[in-house]
Amino acid sequence: MGDGSGNRGVTHSNNNNNGGGGTSNKPEWLQQYDLIGKIGEGTYGLVFLARTKTPGNRGKSIAIKKFKQSKDGDGVSPTAIREIMLLREISHENVVKLVNVHINHADMSLYLAFDYAEHDLYEIIRHHRDKVNHAINQYTVKSLLWQLLNGLNYLHSNWIIHRDLKPSNILVMGDGEEQGVVKIADFGLARIYQAPLKPLSENGVVVTIWYRAPELLLGAKHYTSAVDMWAVGCIFAELLTLKPLFQGAEVKATPNPFQLDQLDKIFKVLGHPTLEKWPTLANLPHWQQDSQHIQGHKYDSHGLHSFVHLSPKSPAYDLLSKMLEYDPRKRITAAQALEHEYFRIEPLPGRNGLVPFQGEKVVNYPTRPVDTTTDFEGTTSLQPSQPVSSGNAVSGNMPGAHGVPSRNATRPPMGMQRMPPQGMAGYNLAGGVMNPGGIPMQRGVNPQAHQQQQLRRKDPGMGMSGYPPQQKQRRM
Amino acid sequence: MAANFWTSSHYKQLLDQEEVDVVHPLDKEKGITLAEFKLLKMHMANYIWKLATHVKVRQRVVATAVTYMRRVYTRKSLSEYDPRHVAPTCLYLAAKAEESTVQARLLVFYVKKMPTDEKFRFEIKDVLEMEMKILEAINYYLVVFHPYRSLSQLLQDAALNDISMTQLTWGLVNDTYRMDLILVHPPHLIALACIYIASVLRDKDTTSWFEELRVDMNVVKNISIEILDFYENHRINMEERLNVAMAKLGSTIHNLEILQLTPTSY
Repeated sequence: MGDGSGNRGVTHSNNNNNGGGGTSNKPEWLQQYDLIGKIGEGTYGLVFLARTKTPGNRGKSIAIKKFKQSKDGDGVSPTAIREIMLLREISHENVVKLVNVHINHADMSLYLAFDYAEHDLYEIIRHHRDKVNHAINQYTVKSLLWQLLNGLNYLHSNWIIHRDLKPSNILVMGDGEEQGVVKIADFGLARIYQAPLKPLSENGVVVTIWYRAPELLLGAKHYTSAVDMWAVGCIFAELLTLKPLFQGAEVKATPNPFQLDQLDKIFKVLGHPTLEKWPTLANLPHWQQDSQHIQGHKYDSHGLHSFVHLSPKSPAYDLLSKMLEYDPRKRITAAQALEHEYFRIEPLPGRNGLVPFQGEKVVNYPTRPVDTTTDFEGTTSLQPSQPVSSGNAVSGNMPGAHGVPSRNATRPPMGMQRMPPQGMAGYNLAGGVMNPGGIPMQRGVNPQAHQQQQLRRKDPGMGMSGYPPQQKQRRM
Repeated sequence: MAANFWTSSHYKQLLDQEEVDVVHPLDKEKGITLAEFKLLKMHMANYIWKLATHVKVRQRVVATAVTYMRRVYTRKSLSEYDPRHVAPTCLYLAAKAEESTVQARLLVFYVKKMPTDEKFRFEIKDVLEMEMKILEAINYYLVVFHPYRSLSQLLQDAALNDISMTQLTWGLVNDTYRMDLILVHPPHLIALACIYIASVLRDKDTTSWFEELRVDMNVVKNISIEILDFYENHRINMEERLNVAMAKLGSTIHNLEILQLTPTSY
């Protein structure tokens, strides 16, 4: 086999049988992007960072989410379908923007291209906790919260519940015109709740439990938009304290196991819910079934203010406690929250949440780690010393798990830049696939630009106070 | 937006009748006329409806599937997008979009149970490949609004929500999917046209109720006329005309099963 161009003819004819996956080793739709590298991975597939090459938008950063063909042989995953379906209808400054959808017919994969956001609340919180060691300033907390609520109010007023709000799904734009603007992301679990054909709980999806509302933990069958507001309350507290508010240990089982520990963590802080304050509590399955633990009434103290270090009389505390109201029907709505006094007092929230008032220090948040050794196939490529012959070198390292060998066998790493490999093992992004033999990778030609990212990646352990390792799956 | 028709992609994508009534050049080459194009789409709608009774999905899912199919053929040719693959796959995709996922192997099983030419092959792989082609063809716009929801609300508002009127209007709405109305008109106007026809048939005086609605009655009446014309046109020689059209498409769809045409609200 020769280099990439030598195989054009073969690849071409193979692709034609599949309805036109591409005309060269790089599918046609991909030619509008330069792939920078992989920035995330989840059960659905991978997320890549790329830059557009099209004139007018040249150099614009794009996050490309690749959905794998589902394993059960059932085509495009329903999660991807729902996400596309909603994103195609949504347009709001505080919601992530889907700029393009691509299909690669050859390997039946689906790609969603989004405007790229450099930061997210997970990383911002972590940076403050582990690196700069001081709280996020009040302006930033308030601005991020306000924008999050603003986006959520838009979704809710359009009958969409997000259902999986957590810090890693709340993106924040980096340098550029939209710097510091919040973008709600990951609509894979989102629902239009106006007229669901099935009870909304019937999807068997497991989401992070730390941000899950008590009514869901107690077995409520129907979601309301109030579940998102509970999550916002948890995120608000986390922005203030840099620690997850209710950090329960998750019971892993299907479907929908009873998460006693998570409830216990909530009760400890908020006190036990009572039928007086939450009348419909009596109807919730787990409340009825597990009366011993749940109705046990161990905790009376309502110590939320001391957990978040707020005066019980402060507007911030008032808003937070209204978000963490047990009864979903009494819980504050996004629209009400936006009108809350907290947002009317100094410092007033602003559009650029990252740049506070003059005089205050601007926190230099790290950029997203990019694994530049993985191509769109999710395949790790080991860089040969001579870039010209990359086709051969890559094919030698393909794990051969793609299902369309004719096309992938000689695929070069598409448009990837070479980067120094230090600290690679720390990202934990590529799992076992990455550099399987521990083969030394080529030193890069362009180390300068990525130095910051490299530095950041060097410390994988970093005394993760609150977070169990591997807790995070980046979902865009 | 997902719950507001006027800001939805559905609304923005509505077409003029003239834009819908375009036979693709590739189909034209085969001699397909506009009347035959419409007939074939109607046949596919019937097929999807029938298949859905086996697969057991809700009417809304079927309606969405038929809408996808009609949207596909506003951009693609029958010659290139084999109706025998497009029809069942639209149902498959609609089921996912409407959260009532149907397994591909189950779909294939039921497709094979439908009366069909022995030579026609339809496997899971065909569903999955066509699913992606359909997604592309409909430009990833998956949200569809249907007349059903407005229908119930409007009937209630007009105090016409007795069983007889509900059944009649519901059947009329089902039949509108045999036409391209869903591509051209807002769903609530289609619902109103069905109520209009039903109230004439059942001799209900709805004049004042319609007057109070702030809608363009000319449009409602035009839709009604279109529906009535459709019933009139499809009384006779259905099967024969369909056969002629299919023969023209030749190898592409001559195997498509011919259904007994029984519009539900004759």
